[in-house]
Amino acid sequence: MNHEVRLTCEGVERYLGEEESRVHALRGVSLTLEAGTVHAVVGPSGCGKSTLLYILGLLDQPDAGEVTIKSQRVSQLPDDELARKRNELIGFIFQFHFLLEDFTAQENVMIPMRRLGRLSEPEMLDRAGSLLDAVGLAAKRARPSRHLSGGEQQRVAIARALANDPEVILADEPTGNLDTKNSHRAFDLLQRIVQERGKALLLVTHNPEIAQLCDWTHAMEDGRIVQAHQR
Amino acid sequence: MTPPLYIALRFLLHRKRAFLLSLAGVVFGVAIFICTQAQTQGFAQHFINSTLGSNGSLILRSRFQPLGSGLPVPPKTQARRNKETQQRRYTEGITNAREIMRVSRQFSNVAACSPVLRGTLSARSGFENATVDLFGIDAPLHLQTTNLITQIVEGSFDDFRDNATSVIVGSKLAEILSVAAGDSLQLLSPSGDYWRFTVAAIARSGVGAIDSARIYSHAKIAQTLLQRPYAASMIIYKLRDPERAPELAQHFETLFQHDSASWQEREAANLQLFVMLRMSAAITVSLIILLAGFGIFNVLTMSVLSKVKEIAILRSMGYRRSDISAIFLWQGAMIAAAGAIIGCTVGALLTWGVSHIPIRVRGLLVADHFLVAWDWRHYFWATVLAVIAVVIASYVPARRAAHLPPVATLRGSSV
Repeated sequence: MNHEVRLTCEGVERYLGEEESRVHALRGVSLTLEAGTVHAVVGPSGCGKSTLLYILGLLDQPDAGEVTIKSQRVSQLPDDELARKRNELIGFIFQFHFLLEDFTAQENVMIPMRRLGRLSEPEMLDRAGSLLDAVGLAAKRARPSRHLSGGEQQRVAIARALANDPEVILADEPTGNLDTKNSHRAFDLLQRIVQERGKALLLVTHNPEIAQLCDWTHAMEDGRIVQAHQR
Repeated sequence: MTPPLYIALRFLLHRKRAFLLSLAGVVFGVAIFICTQAQTQGFAQHFINSTLGSNGSLILRSRFQPLGSGLPVPPKTQARRNKETQQRRYTEGITNAREIMRVSRQFSNVAACSPVLRGTLSARSGFENATVDLFGIDAPLHLQTTNLITQIVEGSFDDFRDNATSVIVGSKLAEILSVAAGDSLQLLSPSGDYWRFTVAAIARSGVGAIDSARIYSHAKIAQTLLQRPYAASMIIYKLRDPERAPELAQHFETLFQHDSASWQEREAANLQLFVMLRMSAAITVSLIILLAGFGIFNVLTMSVLSKVKEIAILRSMGYRRSDISAIFLWQGAMIAAAGAIIGCTVGALLTWGVSHIPIRVRGLLVADHFLVAWDWRHYFWATVLAVIAVVIASYVPARRAAHLPPVATLRGSSV
């Protein structure tokens, strides 16, 4: 397997809030994600898991430290450049799916592709169709996303995260809103995609069963990674 | 289709009621703007056409001599012109009308000119009396210069031309004197003699002041009747470009040393009235468009508030702030475009409908239905106003949407 480094963060610090309510959310977090590996971040609520995820996903900027994607330091890039990197290199999956409700499954998957602008309309339709086929939703591609079940919506969100063939997939409790059967189904799907396509996956989870299935587990407490072990 | 335009179109079509409300505001504002401007300009245009058709674009009147010792230099400012006008000694009448007309015809803007001997007399018919404004005209030249022949509503111009003792009477004056074509009336000369004339035709110019007082007679008869030593008291001009009448009037004053007035100067008071009416209507309708703008502002602001989650999703997928802003600006642009197109169509239909409403106007103007002007500029300015209102109304919500921090939304939705 190719163990090329996809994403690293080094000594990331982040403060949230102002004045008296100011919280030191991340305290020198360092992490390396390699191709074909699945990482779980676990820990109690408020320990900084989501904050770390948003910083690694370039949606938020660290107060100190560095994030590097494909050997390029990205933390201090201008907002437009960060958006471009996000579009090209990162795929997000959220707990509540966060699909555009009025759009069909296929249209949702095509939204990142439209921004990237590398494919023609027929090519985008074709790619969206094959991604939905890969997550077992080919038959429901034309259905508005609000008419899909929770499990189906999460699978559409997975297909959407893969739309631009990103280097890194970041998932914020991707199974948190699913029943056990659908949780394992979604995780298996993600794991298979990561291994087959050489992606790096970091997921935040409260589910110990899911965490145990990951290649790496990083336990967080009070803004620090206090323990990291490989399966 | 750009990604922001595609998403804007989808957002807009999924909020049909809000979209239709915003659209209705713009359509209403644009249509009413076009219709009111068409009406006010229609009446003004009718007045201008009628007065130009009767009195020409430019009039040359009495000879003057400057009282100052300076050479006749063209005045540079209105104030200086007024001052110079006060320092003149006027000599009534034009003694060399034919020579002035010969020189005038050399000017490219002069299409035709005609001498007129004008005087005020009393007219009598049966038991009816009226003070009349006599125009002694050279029939062939006057026909070239004015629209008199098209103004004939009764009788015939040929009867007037062939009979030296015939007159053409203004339509309102004919009503006052109770005369019709073929009847006779009497005009009282300054020496106290009544002269009998046959009414050859009745003319209606559409301008109340002309139709209620004017009588046309042959110039030679008018000169004898009015006992004037000169054959013309003024020369009226038909110009190829009436808008350039003020410059030519100023030039003629200097050249001929005769008082000269453009139609704009002559009708300044009435034109001012029409301008005020148009401005008043424009301000009222602009307020309607402004209100439509407020409606759009509210709709888009609500749209931003209801799409906070979608904005965060799009940002997480790599959409830039400018893309988010463009999504809401495109929504405004689509409302403006659709509103302008439908508004212009509805405005044209309204204008057509209004032009067919029967109305009897007998005052400053004479008209039997609403008068409208078909002018592309009304549609252009209505569209410009709508676009400005919508762009301003869309800008604030669009900017707000672009600056929404996605992390706050995503964090708020995650445990």
